[in-house]
This record gives sequence, structure tokens and C-alpha cells, in this order.
Amino acid sequence: MADERVVQLRVNGRQLVALAEPRTLLSDFLRHSLGLTGTHVGCEHGACGACTVLVDGRPTLSCLMLAVQAEGAEVLTVEGLADEDGLHPIQQAFRECHGLQCGFCTPGMLLAAKALLDEVPDPSEDEIREHLAGNVCRCTGYVGIVEAVHIAAQVLQEQAQ
Amino acid sequence: MTGRYVGARVMRVEDPRFLAGRGVYIDDIEPPGTLHVAFCRSDHAHARIVSVDCSRARALAGVALVVSGEDLRDLPPFSTTIATRPEAKTGTRHMLPLDRVRFVGEAVAAVVASSRALAEDAAELIDVEYAPLPAVLHGEAALEPGAPVLHEELGDNNFAHIEFEAGDVDGAFAGAAHVFRKRFHFGRTHAAPLEGRGVIADWDVAEGSVTVWTSTQMPFLVRGMLAAQFGLQDTRVRVICPAVGGGFGLKVQLFVEEAIIPELSRRLGAPVKWVEDRYEALAASGHAKEVLCELELATDADGRFLALQGHYIGDGGAYLAHPWTSLIDPLCAASFLPGMYDVQNVRYSVDTPFTNKCQSTAYRGVGWTPGQAAREALIDDAARELGIDPLELRLRNTIPDGLPYRSATGCNYDGGSFAESIRRAAGLIGYDELRVRQRELRAQGRLLGIGFSPFVEQGAWAGAVAAAQGFPGFSYLDAVSVSMEPDGTVTLTTGLQSNGQGHETTMAQVAADELGVRIEDVKVVQGDTAGTAYATGSYGSRTAVIGSGAIRRAAGDVRDKLLAIAAHLFEAAPDDLQLADGHISVLGSPDKSFTIREVATAAYWGPRPGDMDPALIATRSYDPPETYSNACIAVVVEVDAETGQVKIERIVAVEDCGTVLNPAVVEGQVIGAIAQGIGCVLYEQLPYDEDGNFLAGTLVDFLYPTAPEVPAIEVDHLETPSPVTEGGMKGMGEGGLIGGPSAIVNAISDALGVPVDRTPLRPCDVLELVNRASRAPS
Repeated sequence: MADERVVQLRVNGRQLVALAEPRTLLSDFLRHSLGLTGTHVGCEHGACGACTVLVDGRPTLSCLMLAVQAEGAEVLTVEGLADEDGLHPIQQAFRECHGLQCGFCTPGMLLAAKALLDEVPDPSEDEIREHLAGNVCRCTGYVGIVEAVHIAAQVLQEQAQ
Repeated sequence: MTGRYVGARVMRVEDPRFLAGRGVYIDDIEPPGTLHVAFCRSDHAHARIVSVDCSRARALAGVALVVSGEDLRDLPPFSTTIATRPEAKTGTRHMLPLDRVRFVGEAVAAVVASSRALAEDAAELIDVEYAPLPAVLHGEAALEPGAPVLHEELGDNNFAHIEFEAGDVDGAFAGAAHVFRKRFHFGRTHAAPLEGRGVIADWDVAEGSVTVWTSTQMPFLVRGMLAAQFGLQDTRVRVICPAVGGGFGLKVQLFVEEAIIPELSRRLGAPVKWVEDRYEALAASGHAKEVLCELELATDADGRFLALQGHYIGDGGAYLAHPWTSLIDPLCAASFLPGMYDVQNVRYSVDTPFTNKCQSTAYRGVGWTPGQAAREALIDDAARELGIDPLELRLRNTIPDGLPYRSATGCNYDGGSFAESIRRAAGLIGYDELRVRQRELRAQGRLLGIGFSPFVEQGAWAGAVAAAQGFPGFSYLDAVSVSMEPDGTVTLTTGLQSNGQGHETTMAQVAADELGVRIEDVKVVQGDTAGTAYATGSYGSRTAVIGSGAIRRAAGDVRDKLLAIAAHLFEAAPDDLQLADGHISVLGSPDKSFTIREVATAAYWGPRPGDMDPALIATRSYDPPETYSNACIAVVVEVDAETGQVKIERIVAVEDCGTVLNPAVVEGQVIGAIAQGIGCVLYEQLPYDEDGNFLAGTLVDFLYPTAPEVPAIEVDHLETPSPVTEGGMKGMGEGGLIGGPSAIVNAISDALGVPVDRTPLRPCDVLELVNRASRAPS
């Protein structure tokens, strides 16, 4: 393919290198060039939040960013949340609170929740709802998701102590 | 039926996979050598195709194939009806149109290229010349004489006109003390699962077979329909359905794209993939629920319902969704015209006009949603005019609780908690106190509204219920296969495809209880017609009832064999044995016991009875009788008369679906469906302008409710087990979107003190109602 650029970045703690056309979206680059299909694409115009990843710690819609813009960045996707000890406390809380059904919005929702809890360890219900307003879930009605973020906040605070 | 797992709040088995990002959805699949498809779609609502010039697209490097209607004209037409009603016409279409487009977004040509981006580039190079025709965009207008006709071979635009009458409707109206009328237009909405449609096909020319990956709720029906389309044996079409990112009824049709993609693969001898973008999803997959309902209610002086009549016009869009057709909304609305009320004089008529819009498809709650909204709004209007509390008016007219009842439209209800659900919801929400608070706030100029919507919903779409809902003529075969492996674990396969409901958990719960094993010993396998038991799919709230019944039967057969083998091992009679907690023991001698694993191993490797077929496998099906869940949803809103904003303060749902498999799953279904109801009343819209241009092609136009717009919905359970189904399950899943919109509509109507005649109720619509209220005599 003509006019491809080398993109170097860290994804889930690993240094990776791949080629990307300048027009390639970060979401497509993660999914199709790096094989990290846990990041989902719901609208490709920044309205649904399914493609949310953390870029240098900040929640980012990977469908509104070009792969070449991620040069040198530190990216966290859903594949980087769990470790050898098992699910991340946010993931575990989503399971306990029935915070997912079809699972399509879940990766973006988890990373949006992580971004919130990294900044605000003990958010109110309103803060959780406002923070997640950019992430659409068509299945759950958000009730289990909001509860899960509450529970995860408690667990993470206990772990931090 | 209760056991160790059935009825328990079991955490979902499938969740760790999804949470870790390891769920595999259609766009995550890419066979080696896959080529990618983009469609060129019509930007005209109604036009003659003068010419399609694909030469510039074909010349682009990397383009493998471009086809338009002319290139596919020799294929058999794409079937679009099951036409089980004699009143219905028979419709077919070409996979791609030959000479005319009928809605904005209709596929006109398809490009296959080495990448999706390249395919999209090439699709933009296709030159289509159109000669515009007059478009018809409203169902009523499409029925007028002289309206532009979409399908000239059908004569006019009405796909089916259906009439029904029971009892003495004219007599009841003539003798009524009061007659109330309502014209209610339920707006067009969209299931809009977050994952859209997607299809991959890999045609093996050497073997004469095709593998199709598709995001669907009905892999086996897709298989059968594609086999018929291409003249292949069922076994030569393998349909693989990966994780489905939401279906909600949308993915219970065979879409024309699902037939085009295999044909492209056949021509190229390579895997071909198409995953729709959001514009295609919104403009060209399936719209739903746009029904104009005209209702009349006759009552006596005390508000007792004497008769109901209704006329339902379902705005069908340009084509007939295969197989349910545009009848799925208006005919289902009509079939539940009396709902949960005891009224035996009922008349309805149904019309299903074609219009120059996207086709109408099923969406959770189908036509029951608009039908419920119209009827319950009419009842609130009647209560207001009669000066009777709206709950009291409903309680005067509900079917008696707990008894079988045959509705005027021929639905055989299997006993419910109709009045009790209303009373329970009223108690939970604090109805009497709310009325006091409403008066206090009104004195301060604040508009609080309380809306109730009690309803009955069908709970197992199969032969019996379908016939009762106006779709007679078919039995359904839905099977589950249960096999016990040599180590005593269980494999369960079925075509009852999950699309988010958690079947890997709920089906394992039923099987584990039946076989006395742990839930982690049961593996549910689905999503592949080459390796699962035949079933028509998951739709119409059916799988809890049908799946559970088939599992109980199949697992019961396996259990009987286990007991026979254990009896051989014990040298005892099978009737003297019990199976529980992973063991088979002799009744009265609990120390004499084998593990299920030991007995399973004996089935495979002996010792076992010499005269039996030891295969620990059984495939059974279940085609249940009619069964109906019921529920009541109550909503409190506050309306801002300055801005037209509606704030939902509280929602309570009381649900009775008989025996509950897993309360967490039931609550998730109720809450999720109510959230969709909030969307379709307050936010979502699919407008067309008067030329038929589609105005909601992005998620900035079609607004999903997000977390701040959905309150903490409370769910309470009543449990009236079905006396007629296996295990007492009744099935649910759609009700939140049947009763939810109606409860919100009624709450807004109550806040403003005026009748409501439509959805959606965006701020501009609410302000119009506020103006109407200020003009109304108080």
C-alpha cells in the first residue's frame, strides 16, 4: 500500500511497531493491524463510546484519532486490564452487578470507568452517570453499570489502603 | 420448578470472556484472503434508475468486482413474505434493484475490493442516473387513491387489509353511556443494537457449499432461507453466528445483504466480508413501531368497558422484511387490543401500506408497544373525562387474577396477577402520597406527572402464540441436544442463539438442576448450524420457556439412562435410586453411592447393561402452548413547562413471568427494555423530509438515552407459575418496551393534564402540549 507510515507505540505495556496509512483510524489500527479486537467500533463518528481506550491515561475515542497521532503514546485497551491474577476489580464488579449483556459496549465502558476512578476514587452516582454519558449501552439501562462502578471504587480504595 | 440453580441469582458464565475483550463478534473474524464490500446506496426516495455506470469503479486498482442489479438479474428473486394470511399479497424483490429505487439508503450496487476503505472509495465512483418519481412518506397518504404506487405488480400500496370482529361491537357502542376516541401516532424507531449487521461468506466452489458468518438471532432460519435462495441442500450451507452485539428483534430477519454477500463470494471464489456502518444501520436495516392507531372505547356509566375497536395503519416502508413482513407491528398491536382488560366485544382492522422509507422490521415488543401506548393513553383520557382515578378505572376492568381466560381476540391467557401487579406497583411508588405531592407542587407551578401501564405479554413465540397473534399456519421446531461426556460433564447445543441474554448461564442452570451436576460442569454451545441442534432462534421472549422445556426433556432422557446404568452397577432397580449433588445413591442407603462421573464413565467403558443403548445423548424439542407474562410499570416525571424537558424521577416495574430462571437476568431484561422505552419516547427519532431524505443518519441525530437520562429503575417480582408450560416459565424480555413507553406517555399527559397523541415527545413536542394545556379549559 502506498504511503504507509511506521507507527511506534506502547500498548498494554508492550512496545509495538506497525505500518499505517495516514488515514487509518486508531481503532482500525488496534483491531486490524495489532489484532486487538477487544476494542469495538459502534459508530465511527465519536458518538457511542464503544471504541474508548486510554491514551496516555486519558479516555480517548479511538475512532476519532488517527493511528499516526498515537506515535509514541502509551495506550491501554481492554486486553490490558486483566492480569495473571484474574479480572481487574472493575471487570469483576461489572460481572457481580450484571453490568453487561451483549458485551459490545463493555470494553469502552470499562476503560471510561477506569479513567474516572483514576481521577476520582470515590465518585457520587451523579458523577458516575455524567462521566459515562459518552458511552452508550443498549442492553442494560445502565443500572448495573453504575452500581458496578460504585463497587469497583470501594474495592480499589480498599486495595489502595 | 426450583432447584439448586433455577431461581438463583447466578453470575453469568459468559461474562469473563466479554469482560476480558475476548468476545468474538462478526467484525473480529477475517478468514485468510478476505475481500471487503461497500455498497453504493440510493440518495433518492423514489426514482427510476436510468443507468448505472460502474466503469470508473471497476478501473480502480484493488477492486475485484462491482455488481449492480443488472448483473444479478438472472438470480432467483429474493423472497420477502411468509404470507400465512390469505389477505396478504405475495412480494418478491431482486437482490439489487433493476429499474427503480424506493427509499433513501437502498443498495444499488456493491463493490468488492482488497480493503474496506478502497471499496468505499470505489463505491463513490459509481455513476447512477436517476429520474425522480413522486414519493409517498406517510402510511395514510399511501393508502389514498392516486398515491404513487411503489410496487406496481401488487396493484396498490396496501400489502394486507385484515379485519376481525368478536362479540356485538355495534350493540355495545349503541348502548354505551360513554364513548371515548383516540388517534395516536407512535413514531418510527429503531432497535439500533450497538453492533450493527455484518456478513462474511466463503463459497467453496469445489465442494459446492458455503459458510456464512452473520450476526443474527436465527442461524438455522438464515441457513434454510439461503439454501432455498441458492438451490443448495441445507447441509451445504453452514451458518456460523459469533457473539451478537445486541439484536432486540432487528436480527430476526433475513436481510437482502445476507444473500448478496454469498453471491459475491461465489463469483470471486474468495471470502467476502461486509460490516455495515452506522449510516447503513440507521437508514437501511430496519425501522420499527410506526403505527397510527385509531381507537374507540365504549363504557357504561361506571366506566366498565363494554367494547373496543381499533384501526391500525402500520407504515411498512419500501419492502417486506423477510419473513415477518410489515404485519409484525400493526397485526400484533391489534391482536392485543383488549390487553389485560375483560372486554369481549372487540373489532379491529389493519392496513400495511408501503411507503418510500426503510422497511419495517421487528423490534422488541413489536406492535404491542404502539398498541399499548394508544390503549393506555385512551384509558387515561377516559379516566380524566369520567373523573375516575386512572388506577381505579383499570382495576374495575382487569381480567380476574390467577385464572385461565380467553381474550376476545383469541389469546388463551394462562393466569396472571393483573390487578395485583397494579396494586403492588402503586404501593411501591407511593401512589396516594404522590397525588398529594403532585397537588402541592402544582400550587408552586411545578408539573409532576404519574403514569401507569399494566400489560400482558406473550411469552413463547411458537406455533400456538403466533397463531393467537394473527400469524397462523406454522408449527415450530426448537431443539436442544444434551450429551454427557465420559467425565460426567455436560455439553448442551442449541440453535436458540443468544444475543446478550445470557443463555450460556440460564440454559446451564436448567441442565445442571436436571442432571444433578454443578453449573460449571455444563458447557452451552451455540452459533454454528454444523454443530448444534436445530432451533428457529431467539426472539419473541421464547427461549426461557422453549429452551427450558427442551432441556428438561433431553436432560431427563440422559438422566434416565444414567439411572439405568447405575442400577446395573448397584444391582438395584432404577426406581430405588436418587440423583442429586453429583451423585447417584440408593434411596435410604446414602452410603451406597456412585459419582455421576463414575456412572458416565461406565456408560462409555462399562460395566453397563448389555441390552441398552448407552449413548448419554438426547435431542428433544418443545413447542409450548400459549403462555403470557404480565407486569405493571409506573413512572413519575416532572415536566419543565419553559423548556419542554421531561425529567424522569422514578420508575418501578412489577414483573410476573411465572417461574424465574435467574432474577438478575430477568431484571436486566426489564430494565434494559425500559431504557429503550425511554429512548423511543423522549429522544430517538427517524425523520424524513417531504422529499423523502433521511435526516437521522448519525448517532448525533438518533439519540440513544445515556446514563444521565435513565434513572435507577426498580424491579419487583410476582410469581404466578404457568400451569401449562414445562417448569412454569412464562417468558419475558420485551415487556419493558411494551409498557415502558406507555407509562412515560401517561405520566407526561398526567403532568400537563392534556391528552397525548404521539411519540416521540421531544422538548418541542412537549412545548406544543404545554401550549395546548394552557388553552384547555381547566
